[in-house]
Amino acid sequence: MFKELTNPFKYKRIGNKEKSTPAKKKQKISFKEAFITLRKLWDYLSNKRLLFTLVLIMVVVSSVLGLLGPYLIGTTIDEYFVTKNDQGLLFVLGILVLVFVFYSLSLFLQNYWMIGISQYTVNKMREDLFQHLHQLPISFFDKRQHGELMSRVTNDIENVSSTLNSSVIQVVSSVLTLVGTITVMLLLSPLLTAITLVIVPLMVLGLKWITSRTGILFKQQQQHIGELNGYIEEIISGQKVIKAYSQEERVINTFTEKSNKLKLSGFWAQTITGFIPKVMNMLNNLSFAVIAGVGGILALNGLVTIGMIVIFAEYARQFTRPLNDLANQFNTLLSAIAGAERVFDILDEQEEEKSHSKSDLSSIEGEVVFSDVSFSYEEGEEKQTIEHVSFTAFAGESIALVGPTGAGKTTLINLISRFYETNEGFISVDGRDIKEVSRDSLRKQMAFVLQDTFLFHGTILENIRYGRLDASDKEVEEAAKLANADSFIRKLPNQYQTEINHDGNGISHGQKQLLAIARAMLANPRILILDEATSSIDTITELKIQEALARLMVGRTTFVIAHRLNTIRNADQILVLKDGKILEKGTHEELVDMKGYYAGMVG
Amino acid sequence: MLRFRSYLTPYRVSVSIALILMLTELAVELALPLLMAKIIDEGILQEDLSLVMKWGGIMVGLSFLAFASGMINSFYAAHVSQSFGFDIRKEIFVKVQSFSFESLAKFPAASLVTRMTNDITQLQNTLFMGLRIMLRAPLLVLGSVVMSFFVNPVLASIFAVVIPLVIVFLIWIMKRGSKLFQIVQAKLDIVNDVLRENLIGMKLIKAYVRRDHEINRFSESTNSLKNATITGLRMIEASMPILLFVMNIAILFILWHGQSQVMNGNTQVGEVVAIVNYGLRTTAALSMFSFIVMFLSRSRASSLRISEVLDTKEKVEIKGTHNGFQRGEIRFEDVSFSYPDVDELVLKNVSFTIAAGETVAVMGGTGSGKSSLFQLIPRLYEVDSGKIYIDHQEITSIDLAILRNQIGYVPQEAVLFSGTVKENIEWGKSDASMDEIERAAKAAQIEETIQQLPDKYETRIGQKGVNLSGGQKQRLSIARALVRKPKLLLLDDSTSALDVKTEKNLLKALEGYFSTTLVITQKISTAEQVDRILLLDDGELIAEGSHEELRKVSPLYEEIYQSQMEEGANVQRAN
Repeated sequence: MFKELTNPFKYKRIGNKEKSTPAKKKQKISFKEAFITLRKLWDYLSNKRLLFTLVLIMVVVSSVLGLLGPYLIGTTIDEYFVTKNDQGLLFVLGILVLVFVFYSLSLFLQNYWMIGISQYTVNKMREDLFQHLHQLPISFFDKRQHGELMSRVTNDIENVSSTLNSSVIQVVSSVLTLVGTITVMLLLSPLLTAITLVIVPLMVLGLKWITSRTGILFKQQQQHIGELNGYIEEIISGQKVIKAYSQEERVINTFTEKSNKLKLSGFWAQTITGFIPKVMNMLNNLSFAVIAGVGGILALNGLVTIGMIVIFAEYARQFTRPLNDLANQFNTLLSAIAGAERVFDILDEQEEEKSHSKSDLSSIEGEVVFSDVSFSYEEGEEKQTIEHVSFTAFAGESIALVGPTGAGKTTLINLISRFYETNEGFISVDGRDIKEVSRDSLRKQMAFVLQDTFLFHGTILENIRYGRLDASDKEVEEAAKLANADSFIRKLPNQYQTEINHDGNGISHGQKQLLAIARAMLANPRILILDEATSSIDTITELKIQEALARLMVGRTTFVIAHRLNTIRNADQILVLKDGKILEKGTHEELVDMKGYYAGMVG
Repeated sequence: MLRFRSYLTPYRVSVSIALILMLTELAVELALPLLMAKIIDEGILQEDLSLVMKWGGIMVGLSFLAFASGMINSFYAAHVSQSFGFDIRKEIFVKVQSFSFESLAKFPAASLVTRMTNDITQLQNTLFMGLRIMLRAPLLVLGSVVMSFFVNPVLASIFAVVIPLVIVFLIWIMKRGSKLFQIVQAKLDIVNDVLRENLIGMKLIKAYVRRDHEINRFSESTNSLKNATITGLRMIEASMPILLFVMNIAILFILWHGQSQVMNGNTQVGEVVAIVNYGLRTTAALSMFSFIVMFLSRSRASSLRISEVLDTKEKVEIKGTHNGFQRGEIRFEDVSFSYPDVDELVLKNVSFTIAAGETVAVMGGTGSGKSSLFQLIPRLYEVDSGKIYIDHQEITSIDLAILRNQIGYVPQEAVLFSGTVKENIEWGKSDASMDEIERAAKAAQIEETIQQLPDKYETRIGQKGVNLSGGQKQRLSIARALVRKPKLLLLDDSTSALDVKTEKNLLKALEGYFSTTLVITQKISTAEQVDRILLLDDGELIAEGSHEELRKVSPLYEEIYQSQMEEGANVQRAN
């Protein structure tokens, strides 16, 4: 019990209390950065400028009516109660009803519209983020956890959303009230106003102290929640291995560690955020006391009237409330900025070169030329994944890529399709450097069966149709038949309408490959890329689709990574890769005669 | 939402302190105007400076008390809400770790992730607000109403009508709101799901230039999230002006009624003024309610979603007690199996025995049930009927963790985790020494590759095992299985990407592990090297025996053999 008493004070101190290392400094929200983020947010809002103006008008209206109501009630009491006169009371009450109707109406409208605006904005951010993700190079995704990116769409944007919903209106009405109150106070007594305003510098100092901390804490909190999100997603995706290796405990420990980090930053963010209204209240009460005390002395000296003190005490209250609100909103704003910044971080990521500035590649023959191409996945790596590779694949030829694992076969394919860009040398299709044409038009000439088969959440039909969106049901079935997938699809409970559930469970890996082949068959490409397309398919089935594949390959430039000798043997050219270099190239017969690496592999 | 109360039990001291501090603060706040009146009435009006100073001092003192209470309250409230969130988050995570695949399939991964972060944040925030300010508004309303009854019960009776109405209305809104926000969270799941799919399938999407298609799909889901959110928020926000209006009209009624009372001389003007003031104060407090209702409905929705995970019932898990096995003989007896929620049997009455230390290949067509058979052995799925024995013990009688710890299972699609190469191998054995790790890597034929990586064993690999080729990932996951020196080794098509020579070396290296080894393979060349072959067809075990035997007795095997022989051997399955 005593332990619990002291627990809240045992959290490790974080934030800028620690010596600010360069890394820490970077985390600090500078005023300028925050301003830039706000500007960007404002740009989003400005799409709805007209509606936003209407909201502001409504805020003004409701603020005025909100003050008018009580004022009218006050005068009503003075006129009709004190003087005991009921002439026209109903009329005044009628006016009051109208005031309240419009008051409620203006509140309703400002909320109604503001919700529309904020959700529109947030939605736009989500869509922009998503679109931008699609413009980023594959290498961007290599380093990120899925769940971490997902957190930006849920947890970070959520922060922005809740702030926009309430804060904007609050801030505006607070400022209005503040200005109004100060004006009235100044009119009444500049001296007492000055005394009341003594607390303002204190407030600013207090706010500065707090927000310089919460800014970092909010950022850390969002970062930690993102990391946790990333971890959870990864663990759930890899659940099979975790279970099979009974690593639950280890996973839970790591989770707890990460969750603890979030708890720590969350604790300080919340605690210090909680300080704001208290500090404000304190200053509020102090000003109350100061007015009473100093005012009392002044009154005794006859400098002000007692009535004035009472009024001022009341105004001091009114004055601090909007300030308090503003302070609170300031915090929400900071948390929104922390969220928004993480969204803008992604939006600021360098896109792949804009493709629409490039010309399109259309109706090609399919000749592919590599000229002295070198490439490595990470800059400055000692050993390049691909070193000085040159070859020509004539239109309609089939090229087999063989070599030990890690030789760079898949990398070559990654380069042809411009998933990655070459470091040196160039690749051309029909004599045009592929860097000079738009990626989309390049890829539209190609169909792929990739090593990692992937099925979307949806029906079998939809998954095959992904190869060509306008394909009819019949065409899809034709493709499935060619790929020998039809027979197993027919056995599924809803056949082509069977929903593939999360992560494609219940469908074997080989079957997924059959579907991927059907998908490629549906597309009608000039260049066909088969990366281990049949690795998990049994050899009898493979023989059956071999024929269909052979037909598909006729007249198309085809790159095949495969293990089946007949696929390789029938290729027009075989490239033997080892350690990123082309070791041998030629037809099967030529290579066998060479008695080199290939001959050794086959023999 | 109440079910989560029990999570507060460990923090009840902090909760109480937080509440007491909050009440202290509130009390000070209410006392200050009274003190102010005292200073004016008794001090200033009586020109008694010492009294002004004295009570002014008390006011300042009380202010500091309130301040201190508020600041300390912040610590306790944050402690409670963060600990509460932390505990529930862990509880869900632990629960999910205990899920069978059947239960896991009920929740999309993206949804589980949202529940563990976003939904818990909602609960946390509500709790924090609850411990700090939420009680204020209701207390203010209650106080005002009670006070007004003291002043003039007749005039105050209007509150007795209106306030219950308002409360009923608020509860109704909260219930509706929570339903709407449940929809919002469900839509958020869908948005998350689409996003996750896109992240996983990014390469395929780029390959087929389906960006626009995906953007449309995402827009659809996010627009529907937007609309649901708008509906939810508007429903709550719109109700507030209505409440305000009702309250304001009630005040006008008091004015009207009060005036006639005053005219009749039944009531003092001051009483009317006081009651009107209480009414205005209540109205002001009401605007807080929209805030509270919002928090409560969102957290109610979230708590339901969390409960859904926590309440997922597992089929009675048979907890074994036996302490594992020594030799590793496997026996299947009439085993049939189907995946949860699918009618069709994947395995039909399969029976066989594999002697300890034997190496057996499992072969068969695509979708014939090979991988399913493997998954039954570490009990990733449970059999529908029939029994599986290891060393004559039914596997259900063996402690699950011990059972799995003696098995090295290498799934078809290599799963790697963010972290270093070393850490990924360590998944097989947390306390493995560097020596053990290197030995496993050598046996898995991956050591050489690792030595070429920039930081060797400390090289970081991303979630998808970036920069490693398909074959390298496979061998890394074989190393993970070998590092634990398993009694049973299950290789699900894990040698498919290895060239003949490497595979030979691997199989040779495995001999040093004395494991009972099951290998799923498509390759006759592999089958030739093992002791025995099990041939599956459409879920049935149709033949077993050595390569030579099967060629004689099984037409299907002969067909597989021919499919690979007519053009000669496999060159390799590289990559």
